[in-house]
Amino acid sequence: METLFAILIGLLVAAGVFLMLSRTIVRVVLGLTFIAYGVNLAILTVAGLRQDSPPLLTLEGPYVDPLPQALVLTAIVIGFGTTALLLTVALRAYQVAGHDDVAAFGDNLARDPDAPDGQHADPEHLSPDLPEMDHAAETAAHLAELERLRRITR
Amino acid sequence: MNPESTAVVTSALPLAPILTPLGLGLLLLLPMRRRWRVSLALASALLTLIFSLLLMNSTMGGMLVSELGGWKAPFGIVMAADRLGSFMSVLAALCGVFTVWLMAAQPDPVRERHHSFALTSFLFVGVQLSFLTGDLFNLFVAFEVMLVASYALTVLGSTREQLREGFRYIVMNLSASALLVVACGLAYGTLGTLNFAHLAQRSAALGPNTTVTAVGVLLLIVFAAKGALFPLGFWLPGTYPAVPHATGAFFGAVLTKVGLYALIRVFTTVFNQDPQLPDTLLLLLGAVTMLYGALGAVSQREWRRILSFTVVGSVGYLAYGLGLGSPDALRASLAYLAVSVVVTLAMFLIAAVAERASGTRLVRARGFIEFLPLLAACFLLCALTVAGLPPSAGFVVKFDLIRAGLEGGTALAYVATASALLSSLITLYALLRVWSGFFWGRHPQDEPVRRVRWPERLPAYLASALVAALTLFAGPLLGHARGTADELGSNASYILGVLGEGPLDLPPPPRGDEVQEPEDAP
Repeated sequence: METLFAILIGLLVAAGVFLMLSRTIVRVVLGLTFIAYGVNLAILTVAGLRQDSPPLLTLEGPYVDPLPQALVLTAIVIGFGTTALLLTVALRAYQVAGHDDVAAFGDNLARDPDAPDGQHADPEHLSPDLPEMDHAAETAAHLAELERLRRITR
Repeated sequence: MNPESTAVVTSALPLAPILTPLGLGLLLLLPMRRRWRVSLALASALLTLIFSLLLMNSTMGGMLVSELGGWKAPFGIVMAADRLGSFMSVLAALCGVFTVWLMAAQPDPVRERHHSFALTSFLFVGVQLSFLTGDLFNLFVAFEVMLVASYALTVLGSTREQLREGFRYIVMNLSASALLVVACGLAYGTLGTLNFAHLAQRSAALGPNTTVTAVGVLLLIVFAAKGALFPLGFWLPGTYPAVPHATGAFFGAVLTKVGLYALIRVFTTVFNQDPQLPDTLLLLLGAVTMLYGALGAVSQREWRRILSFTVVGSVGYLAYGLGLGSPDALRASLAYLAVSVVVTLAMFLIAAVAERASGTRLVRARGFIEFLPLLAACFLLCALTVAGLPPSAGFVVKFDLIRAGLEGGTALAYVATASALLSSLITLYALLRVWSGFFWGRHPQDEPVRRVRWPERLPAYLASALVAALTLFAGPLLGHARGTADELGSNASYILGVLGEGPLDLPPPPRGDEVQEPEDAP
């Protein structure tokens, strides 16, 4: 039984890694869930797999160790939450770019087919967290501010 | 202090820094006016800091242990605060106060509508929980709480840059978390427990064992990924500049240090039987990470990208100090850890002011010493601290670290020490380039200067004042680090604190091939 599980876990993780190496965002997410399943099975196997042993003390023994099952439950819940969050990010990327290639993120390595030229690997782009800089409209105001600051600091 | 003299107290105090941000963070989810939200978040951060300080004060003489639900230690989950844990808790809570302040000073209606304050609070919960937990699987849970909050904060706002960096950050950390779960499973399968103290006791009873070493190395890989050691830290320099200033400051100052804390905890308290392989790996990775961080900082032209690479470099120094393995090196690493957290916080806050003042992320604005002279002074102090030049706490702790490295004696230790010295020099060059690019020279007339309001500037000045205070009180800091290193030097007091005096009457760990009879049925 343990050997079977070891092979199964190996297959799941291999499939997960294969999917994660893909360029499609959804496949990456699926790959991560495959790996999570493999890992959960690995924890379950740690306690030893027996078909005739209940994990509860109210039934007739011998018992199987119940703690790994509690751990798996926790890991499944956490994995559920993180997968949901990751899917949300993937959905947002799809909404922003219109396709679910990793190029949707505007990565420097992968050109986004939808974005016009000149928007890639530009170190001088302004972050949306910084105030908009409209030089033509604001330069005069800024120069006045500059002079004022100079007068103050002198 | 010797373990015999330490008193162990069972108390609810280790829970306070965790439950305060959790409860008030849940309150922050309610709809309310911005003024109330800000006050509540600030109150939560300040209360957490107060509780952390109380906790640090109480752990000076011995451990504080809190058994959840009244279950005795190896069966239930324990919160165990020793000197190391409570010290880290104070550092994180301090950074939390500055973070909330800067968030309050930079209004961001979109992100605040999507609960950035509550998410930050949950981030504090995860960080505090990882510092105070006494259980390996609970550490995994704490990491997940911290990381889920940080994932959400990374992508909140959904700019294309945030999505790109956030996706890479999430995928990287989820893979590492899967490995952490495997390591938990292996540890449980081999030693039959997940409690830190019990793991330490059983691995000591088992003696050097290849499976235990494998678990240790697996944990090293996981924490190296979370703490951004060289080959696994590629996500860091892109992620931290993509998030808002306040969040980025907390990420930079604290999140990598959580991984380093876990490394210290695992390799001093828990698996200290066979330090050869993990120490060699840490030295090697540390030596490369330092150089990578320093060279990366030189290669960048944006404020927070340069700072992110100095964060990577500081992680390298810590891994180097931990890998040396001697008590002196551990003391130096702990002192360096404190200095590094505070100075990184100050640097990111300075970067926030600088980016707002110049309206660009680039450091080539020139001439800002004219408009922000105090900020320039603060930056110079922090730069000297990061690089480790004399009139700063950075010099004291780095000197201590290098001296421990020279006493290490092995060839690898010498190579790593040479790498440490070289990367300090390169870091200094990178930071002086920031100085000459942003502060020095004459400001070009046609480039605008924006006025930064005082609530945004004040955190940067206060954090720099903290850096200066660390310089003045480097002696007490090193003394405290010495005490902590002594406590970590022998895990006897930790085991005694968590498991109590009497011998434990436990069933043997399951080997998988025997049918186990229940021995303690209720």
